[in-house]
Amino acid sequence: MERGYWIRSKPVYTSLVWHDKATSHLLVAQGDGGMAVLKIFQLMHPKQPITVLYACNLNSKDYAKTLKKVVPEGLQILNSEEDVLLTLNNILPNMSMGMRLYVAGSEGFIWAASECAKKFGIEDTDIMKELTGTLARSVYCVHCKATTHDITTNIGKCCGCERMLFVRDHFSRRLGAYMGLMVDAESPGILPEIEEIYP
Amino acid sequence: MSTIDVKVSAIEQVTPLVKHFTFVKEDGTVFPAFSGGSHVVISLNIGGRIHRNPYSLMGSPEDTSAYHISVRRQERSRGGSVYMHENVTVGMPFKITYPVNLFSLAKKARKHILIAGGIGITPFMSQIADLERLGADYELHYAFRAPEHGAFAERLKKTCGNKLHCYVDSLGERLDLSVLMGNQPLGTHLYVCGPNPMVVSVFEVARNFGWPENHIHSEQFLAPPIGEPFKIQLARSKKEILVPAEMSMLEAIEAAGVEADFLCRGGACGRCELQILETDGALLHNDHFLTDAEKASGKKIMPCVSRAKCERLLLDI
Ligand code: FES
Repeated sequence: MERGYWIRSKPVYTSLVWHDKATSHLLVAQGDGGMAVLKIFQLMHPKQPITVLYACNLNSKDYAKTLKKVVPEGLQILNSEEDVLLTLNNILPNMSMGMRLYVAGSEGFIWAASECAKKFGIEDTDIMKELTGTLARSVYCVHCKATTHDITTNIGKCCGCERMLFVRDHFSRRLGAYMGLMVDAESPGILPEIEEIYP
Repeated sequence: MSTIDVKVSAIEQVTPLVKHFTFVKEDGTVFPAFSGGSHVVISLNIGGRIHRNPYSLMGSPEDTSAYHISVRRQERSRGGSVYMHENVTVGMPFKITYPVNLFSLAKKARKHILIAGGIGITPFMSQIADLERLGADYELHYAFRAPEHGAFAERLKKTCGNKLHCYVDSLGERLDLSVLMGNQPLGTHLYVCGPNPMVVSVFEVARNFGWPENHIHSEQFLAPPIGEPFKIQLARSKKEILVPAEMSMLEAIEAAGVEADFLCRGGACGRCELQILETDGALLHNDHFLTDAEKASGKKIMPCVSRAKCERLLLDI
């Protein structure tokens, strides 16, 4: 990556911190995002109402047991990432302005949750986001429009058209994925070295 | 800046302090379309000096046969509003700018709450026409001093029905901001236009109820303040100008025949920003646009409302 160069579309993730003026808190986490939830509860147990939705995943440690000890109220342990998103979708209509949303997990999860929140008028800049566990990227192919998940290397094979795609830094919030461009368009079959850069 | 030639086609006294002016185009054609919340800047020639005042368009955006503005008489101002009240008659020609919208409705909002104080109702008049047409969920909260000052309250009642909530100060009616903001659905956006203390308290209460900053909108155009005269130098136009007490820096630059950019002329939009190359004095920033850090850096100034105390202020224009 070129030094000093920054792409505007690239999202910025931080550590979760409580919004001190929030009237209620809603935290959704997946996989290693459980650790981010534990961390924010280390900072403080806020006095406003709390809801936490969590599901572990295959590649991560399961934080459910510890969360049950630490989260004082409103914890729901769910079976899968999909269930977390579904539950989020079901509880958002009952929330009011002043509720602040916190999301922690893989990049794909963060943007899936953010798409869901958007339907209820929550903009992605209103959401506090922490990226945990992996830097693996979802990549959308500009040629066939398919999205390939969990790419950890600079070049990856498109799950749709099987082209070898160079993983760019341009990010689509709507798709929750980075742009992928055919790498050997000019010199078919000649590929640069494939290296893991998004472990 | 390109302008539209208009003439006054009707004047109506709506309250003891507010007059409503209707403009049509000189050439009889229709006006450009605009969106709710837009304003125009009207040029007034008062005793040989050009004043340019921004006013919200308050007609329905669907009606482009005429533009409507309302002007509150401000006694302690530099004379623009008094001139509008006392000297402007039906048939008089004016030049106005094309409409610009610095106070547009949030497209993704699921509900809109509009809060107006006094003459601050004007930008909402056109927005309400848009909201009604879209069938959007909204509430209008309109506070004014006394029953006779509720300009357009009657008309609004017809358009908005029970979405209109009026608060008459002289009858002891108050808008309870905590109740209002404590219980609104997700995706609500808030808009406020009115006197400064009202805008400040709306922002404060909304923030205290955890509302994200980008859900709170305001339109506050300042009138250029009167101050001490000072001198400025224009680097590119190679001119030295004295800014008189009653003129803004922007007006003085224009009066010297130099073209300068602007949109709001009220310290809100940032369009008129000028770079400061050198100065020997203190800057008196009055705008709402620059951050405190930018103001402190002394590198930029908004000439539509800000002034200086100096002999030398070299500007990059
Ligand atoms: S013209 Fe808008 S800030 Fe000066």
